[in-house]
Amino acid sequence: MLIAHRTKSFLRKPENVILLCLLIILTYLILLPLFSIVGDTFKVHSSELMRIKGAETGDFTSYHWKSIFIGKYSKNIFYKPLVNTVLVALATCFIAIFLGGVFAWLVTRTDIQFKKTISSLLILPYIMPSWTLAMAWLNFFKNKHVGAPGLFTAFTGIQTPDWFAYGFFPITIVLGLHYAPFAFILIGGILRNMDANLEEAAQILKAGRWRIIRKITIPIVLPAMLSTFLLVFSSAMSAFAVPAFLGSPVRFQVLTTQLFRTLNGMSPGYGFLIALVMIVIGALILTGNQMLVGKRKSFATVTGKSSNISLVNLKKARIPLSIILLVLLLLITIVPLITFAVQSFMVSSGNLAAENFTALFWVGEGRPDVLSGEPGILRNKYIYIGLWNSIRLSILVSLLAGTVGLLVGYAVVKRRGTLAANTLDRLSFFPYLLPSMAFGAIYLSMFAVRRGFIPSLYGTFAILVLIGTVKYLPFASRAGINAIFQLGREIEEAAMIFGVSWWKRMVKIIVPIQKASVLSGFLLPFISSMRELSLYILLVTPSTKILTTMLFQYNEKGWDQYANAIILFIVIVVISLNLIVNKVTGASIDKGIGG
Amino acid sequence: MKRSALILFILFVPSLVLAASSDLINAAKKEGNVVVYSITSRIANAAKSFEAKYGITVSAHNLKDFELIEKVTSEGANKVYGADFIIAQDSGRVFGEIIKPGYAYSYVPPDMKNIIPKMYQDPLYFSFITKAFIYNSETYTYPTITNVWELTEKKWEKKFWFKDPLKEGVNANFLTMVTSPEVSKQLEAAYERHFGKKITLTTPNAGYEWIKGIINNQLVMFTSDTKMANSLGVKGQNIDAVALGTYSKLRYREKKNLALMPIMGMEPFAGFFYPSFLLIRDNAKNPNAAKLFIEYLLTEEGFEPWSGSLGTYSSNPNIKPYPGDNTLDVWSRILVLESPEFIYQNRTDVEEFWNSMIY
Repeated sequence: MLIAHRTKSFLRKPENVILLCLLIILTYLILLPLFSIVGDTFKVHSSELMRIKGAETGDFTSYHWKSIFIGKYSKNIFYKPLVNTVLVALATCFIAIFLGGVFAWLVTRTDIQFKKTISSLLILPYIMPSWTLAMAWLNFFKNKHVGAPGLFTAFTGIQTPDWFAYGFFPITIVLGLHYAPFAFILIGGILRNMDANLEEAAQILKAGRWRIIRKITIPIVLPAMLSTFLLVFSSAMSAFAVPAFLGSPVRFQVLTTQLFRTLNGMSPGYGFLIALVMIVIGALILTGNQMLVGKRKSFATVTGKSSNISLVNLKKARIPLSIILLVLLLLITIVPLITFAVQSFMVSSGNLAAENFTALFWVGEGRPDVLSGEPGILRNKYIYIGLWNSIRLSILVSLLAGTVGLLVGYAVVKRRGTLAANTLDRLSFFPYLLPSMAFGAIYLSMFAVRRGFIPSLYGTFAILVLIGTVKYLPFASRAGINAIFQLGREIEEAAMIFGVSWWKRMVKIIVPIQKASVLSGFLLPFISSMRELSLYILLVTPSTKILTTMLFQYNEKGWDQYANAIILFIVIVVISLNLIVNKVTGASIDKGIGG
Repeated sequence: MKRSALILFILFVPSLVLAASSDLINAAKKEGNVVVYSITSRIANAAKSFEAKYGITVSAHNLKDFELIEKVTSEGANKVYGADFIIAQDSGRVFGEIIKPGYAYSYVPPDMKNIIPKMYQDPLYFSFITKAFIYNSETYTYPTITNVWELTEKKWEKKFWFKDPLKEGVNANFLTMVTSPEVSKQLEAAYERHFGKKITLTTPNAGYEWIKGIINNQLVMFTSDTKMANSLGVKGQNIDAVALGTYSKLRYREKKNLALMPIMGMEPFAGFFYPSFLLIRDNAKNPNAAKLFIEYLLTEEGFEPWSGSLGTYSSNPNIKPYPGDNTLDVWSRILVLESPEFIYQNRTDVEEFWNSMIY
C-alpha cells in the first residue's frame, strides 16, 4: 500500500513523469545502439564474403579486430589515420581558441570599431557548411599537382607548395576558422558576464593591461577555454568533408575518411570498429568535460554586474586594426560566397573570357556534351526535392529537439541534485560527443532491421529525423536547462498555488518569459541540421536525399557549378532564418556577444 | 575471337524495326511511373525522352557504383522498395551481392533476344565503358609515353593521375586484373622491352610490381574522372601529366575547350573496359514500366544520350558508335577486360596490398 501510494504521489508530479519517460527513451536511442555496434564488429557482412573466405553473412568473426589492431596493414588502415586525426584536432583547437579568444577579447574589452558587423560576420563560418572554406581554399591555392592552377597561381605565377595547398596545413586552418566562432561565443559569453569588478580593482591598483589579462582575465576564462577545447576537439575529430577534400590529393587520411571508405566499400566491419574507437574517445572527452564543469560550478554564480568596465583604448591602432579585422573576415566569409556565385556561371574555372560565361548551369536543359545531361539548377527537379527534404528535415529536427530539450531542462532543473536528473543531464549531452559519421553508422546498423515493434527504418525519412533530433538534443537541452535554471522557482510556484495546470504553466508562463533562450534551443538544431553532411550521408537513399549530400556528390564528381549553387542555397536559407528569428524575438546563435 | 564473331553478327543481322508490344506499353502506362538507380548520369537525358514518348514519369537517380550496390543490398535485405530497375557496374560485386541473393533479375525484351549476342543476355548487358590513358594534346603534339612502365620512372613522378580505386569499384577491378596471370605476363614482357632486362620481383608478380611502382612514384588520386579530365585538358597551362580515366570525357573537348587525346599505342595495354548491367529489382512496384524503359534503352533512340558522343558502346550491335570513334572491337584488342570470376577471388588481396602502400 505504502509503495503504491508513494508511486502515485511520485507520478503526480509532471517533472517525475518526464524524467522517467526521457530516461527510458534516451537509453533506447543513445545507449542501446552502442551495444548494437559492438555486435557489428564481430559479424561477417554481406560485402565481406569476398574477403573472409568460406564464411556466411552474419557469422561470428574476430577478423575485423585482428586486422585493425594487429594485422599486417593495420598501420595504414588504422594507426596512421588515428595519429593524423589527433594531430588535426589538436591544431584545430589551438587555432580556433586563439582566433576566437582574440576576437572575443577585442569585441568585449576594447573600443574597436564595427563590433556588430564583426560579431555577425564571425558567426558565418560556423553557419556555412564547413567545406565551403575548403572548396574556396582549393579554388585559390590548388597547384599543378592536380592540373589547372588556382586563382593565386593564375594571378601571381607562384606555384603553391604541396604542403600549403593540401593535407594537414589547410585542413587545420579551415577547421580552425570553422570552429573559431564557437570559441568566440563561449569565451565572449564568459567575458561579458564576468564580474568586471575584478579587473577594475586591478586597474585601480595600477596593474598594467597585459598583467590584468594574464593574471585575471585568462584565469577566469580558462574553464571556458578548456571546455571549448574539448568540444572543438571532438567536433574536429569527427569532421569529414574538409579532410576528404583537402586531404585526398596528397593521400592524407583521418579516421572519418577511413570510416566512410570502409563502411561504403567492401569492409563495413572495419568501419564499425573505427566508429567504436571514435565513440570511446568521445566518451573520454565527456568525462573530462564533466569534471571541468563540476569544478567550475563553484564560482559560476552570476552576481549583480558592476558598471561597464572601461574599454581598452586602442589609440592609434584602433582604425587600422578595425579595418584589418574587417577585411580579414570579409575574405573568409563574403569573398568565397561571391566567387561561388560567379563560378556557377562559368564553364571552366579560371577562364575570364566572355564566351566562358553561360547561364546553362542555371536554366539549361542539360546537354551530354557539357555536363552529363544534368538539367540546370532552376529546372532540376532533384535539386528542388533535395531543397524541400533539407528544409522539412531541419524543421522537424528543430521542433522535436527543441521540445525535448525544453522538457529535459525542466525535469533536470526541478529534480536537480538527484541521480536520475544527473543521469538524464549527461545522457542528453552524450550525442554531442558521438562523431557524426560514427553515429550514422550506429543507426544504420541498429535500425536497418526490424526491432520489436519498430519496423526497419532504413531508407525512410523518419530515420533522418530521428538521428538529427538525437544528435542535436545537446544544443537544445543546454538551452532548456539554462532557460529553466535562470527562472526563479517562485514564479511557477505562484501559478501552482492558483491551480494552473502544468501545460498552461509551460505555455503561458515559462516559455514566454524565457523565449529568447528557448528559441535558441530550436534555432541551433535547425542551422546545424541544414548544413550537416556526415551525420546523414550513410542514411540517405536516393529518394530521401538532401542538399548537403547532393552537394557532396556534385563536388566529388567535379560538377562545381551545381555544388556552388547549392552552397548558396543553404547559406541563404540559414542566414535569412537566423535574421528573421533575430529580428522578431531577439534570439540568435550569437546572442550574448557583440557591441 | 569473340569480337570477330560480334563483327560478323553486325554485318549479317539486318536491322529490325523494333517495337515494344502494345500489352507491355499499356501495362507500363497504367503504372505511370518508374524509378531507376543508375551509375551513368546521362540516364537523365534518356529519362526525358522516354517521358516524352510514353508519358511515364521517371525518377532517375545517379549513384556511384559502390553506393548503388550498397543501397540495393540493404534495400534487398530489408525488403525496402527503392528502385524498379538498376543500371549497375562492378561485375564481381553485381554477381555476388545482387544477382546471387536474388535482389534483381535480368529481363531480355523478346525483340532483343535475336539481336543482342547470347553472352550478353544473362545478366543483360547495357553497355561497355572504356577508360584509357589520356594526355594533354596541346602540351604534347603526340604521346611521349608508350609503355606503362615509364610511369614508374622519375620523369613521371607525381604526373600520373588515376581515380581513387577505392572510390570506384571498376578501378579496383582493373588493378586486380593487372595481377592476373595473363596481364602480368604481358607486363613482364613489356618491362623487358622497355628496360632491356628481366624483371626482378619483390612482390608476387609483375602486376603487383607495376602497382607498387606507380604508387612509389607518387601517383596522384582524384575523386572523379570528370574532375580529372577538366584538370588535364586545360589549355595554356603546360599540363604535362598522364591520366587513366573515362574515355567518354573527351566529349567535353569542344564545349569546355579542353585539349585531350587518348594514348592508343600504350604497351602492353591502353587502359581497360567493363560492362554495365540492366537489372530489374525483385520487389519492383512498376515492373512493366521498368521493362519498357529497359527495352527503350536498348534501342537506337533510347541509347542516343550515349551514342551521341564517344566512349560508350551499346550491347546492341546494331547501334553504331559515334562517328569517328573507335569500335568496341578495336578497343577490346588494346584494353584489359574485367573477369568477374578472377575479381571475386582476388580483389580483396589487391585492395589490401594497395591499402598497405598508399597511405
